[in-house]
Amino acid sequence: MKEIDRRVYEHPILSFDRGRRVRVFFEGKEVPAFESETIAAALYAAGVLQFNYSARLLRPRGPFCMIGKCSQCMMRVNGVPHVRTCITPVEDGMVVEREANHDMELPSPKEGLRVERLSLSYDVVVVGAGPAGLKAALKASDAGARVAVLDQSPVAGGQLSKQTHKFFGTKESYAGMRGVDIARMLVSMVKERENIDLYLRTQVIGYFRREGLLIAYQAKSVNEFGVLVIRAKAYIVATGAMERNLIFSGDDLPGVMGAGAAQTLMNIFGVRPADKPLIVGAGNVGVIVAYQALQAGIDVQAVIDIAPKSAAYLVHSSKIRRMGVPILMRTTIKEAYGNGRVEGAVIYEVDERFRPIPGSERDVEVDGVWLATGLSPSVELLELMRAKIKFVPELGGYVPLRTQYLETTASSVFIAGDVSSIEEASTAMMEGVVAGISAAEKVGLGRDDLRTERSESLRWLETFRSGPHYRRIKEGLNKVLIQ
Amino acid sequence: MTKSEERKIEGQKTLASGYVTLDDLKKAGNIPPDGILEARAVPIIDDIEEIPCTPCRDVCPTGAIIMPSMNDPPKVKWEACTGCTLCVQACPGLAITLVNMSFGRKVLKRNDIALVSIPYEMIPVPKRGDRVRVYDRGHNYLCDGEVYSVIKSVKFGTIVINVLVPKQYALHAKYLEVIKGE
Repeated sequence: MKEIDRRVYEHPILSFDRGRRVRVFFEGKEVPAFESETIAAALYAAGVLQFNYSARLLRPRGPFCMIGKCSQCMMRVNGVPHVRTCITPVEDGMVVEREANHDMELPSPKEGLRVERLSLSYDVVVVGAGPAGLKAALKASDAGARVAVLDQSPVAGGQLSKQTHKFFGTKESYAGMRGVDIARMLVSMVKERENIDLYLRTQVIGYFRREGLLIAYQAKSVNEFGVLVIRAKAYIVATGAMERNLIFSGDDLPGVMGAGAAQTLMNIFGVRPADKPLIVGAGNVGVIVAYQALQAGIDVQAVIDIAPKSAAYLVHSSKIRRMGVPILMRTTIKEAYGNGRVEGAVIYEVDERFRPIPGSERDVEVDGVWLATGLSPSVELLELMRAKIKFVPELGGYVPLRTQYLETTASSVFIAGDVSSIEEASTAMMEGVVAGISAAEKVGLGRDDLRTERSESLRWLETFRSGPHYRRIKEGLNKVLIQ
Repeated sequence: MTKSEERKIEGQKTLASGYVTLDDLKKAGNIPPDGILEARAVPIIDDIEEIPCTPCRDVCPTGAIIMPSMNDPPKVKWEACTGCTLCVQACPGLAITLVNMSFGRKVLKRNDIALVSIPYEMIPVPKRGDRVRVYDRGHNYLCDGEVYSVIKSVKFGTIVINVLVPKQYALHAKYLEVIKGE
């Protein structure tokens, strides 16, 4: 049998430095892998799309989010159950297995778990190393704060690292630079700072409010962990967002994934998630991912959206139209089907009241369905911190109340980026500036020049949000602003 | 026929689905009058929306792109443009082509040929002398074109392909594909 290799070796923008080749064993067979890859990326590259089964009906399941937020990529690795393979790097000799009934078993000490406890103390702790978190850390560091940045991913940069396109905005928001280059720049700045410690593969698992203690675990391997007990004077929560699912028949088939998950595979690891996908959602995310897929040599079949008008910037959508990718509005997906993976989909048109138009159904030959149907802010940690949360659809769902300086109702807890409202990386970075300066001020490191910079950033955000695409978001922001 | 022309699903031809026509741009004032078009190189900017984006304005050495606030759509002072292609290279949306109707007459002694500068972020990258397939805004095939030169700038990262096309296609030309085997 011919060995499947879905890796991209030529790309107009990216070059993939995969590192040394290592051996990973999946169900008795060796799967070629490279040291910079996660287990999920290596399996996908080898054509393994089904990672586990649903607990009761044993339906095949594959990864959905690829950023450690859903649980669909969990597998048994070196005997340890429930390992999130999308954020766990491969190691030479690793043994990976699918697990059935995965919710029935807990990892236990008999698996040889090694845990080491560490007590740490900082002025400011930032949770999330994406555009907002990195910027916030740099600003708090400018003020002289001792800062820790935690992220569950093995790669810092968040969603920035996946963006091959040049950013819009102004020079203040690095307009004209590609997201991947902005990420590289911010991460190297953070690493150069002596007063910032960056903890990757580190997930927050608890917060003790009375003591002001944050508990996180740092994965060193699948069975070796550091438990970090962190005391900080202020926290900045920049945990980003989670891609939304859409309910349709076959929505759990391997090959149905978030558009951001497809981006992770294509642009971080250089692995083609599909050869001819259908993208659902013609907002900026959907059409940008379509363009990036074309760059990775993937033949996007269509972008569909139930709304009458694409919410994307016309500049972004016309970029894929001129390359021949059809966009179909008032069109949505009825089902995805296939034997263990997506082999086709049925789409249909809707009328102005979103009712299916009889006879409009058609079968499309696709091998992947990527959902760009919106994001939900990841507010779980803020809930644990007892920040007041409100449901504001304009901002993406449940979001925390905040002052103009991005402090929540929880004492000394600040927010920035998609967790505060679903917007763009440009606004996330600018919010990071505001939150970083504000958190530093809160711990007694206020400075006039930084306060001036904060005012300028707030003014920039105001101007950026003054266009028609931001009308709804501005209305939403008015609902969560507190004094 | 290339792979991109073989996609089976046909897209809707509406602005709401990202399908921009030359008429849409004319209505927005983004196409210069014929007199100017015949005389000099001009940027054709496919942006008729209020979006927060300023690199074309900021990069223009002669201030030919007018944009009072970051959300205003760019407007071009035609007579101030020198045809330097910096805006084509800088535009993050790949929305700008530079159309030079007089290039054939002035440089090649051929009145029927125009030079169009098209931003390009795909592979393979064509080289001087290659034949390419040239498409309009909706990926309708227009004509074959000849690559006159290729601009690669480290600073902007977006390659610009200068392609020779019959004049009647110059305002429509927005994308190109390398013909396999070139």
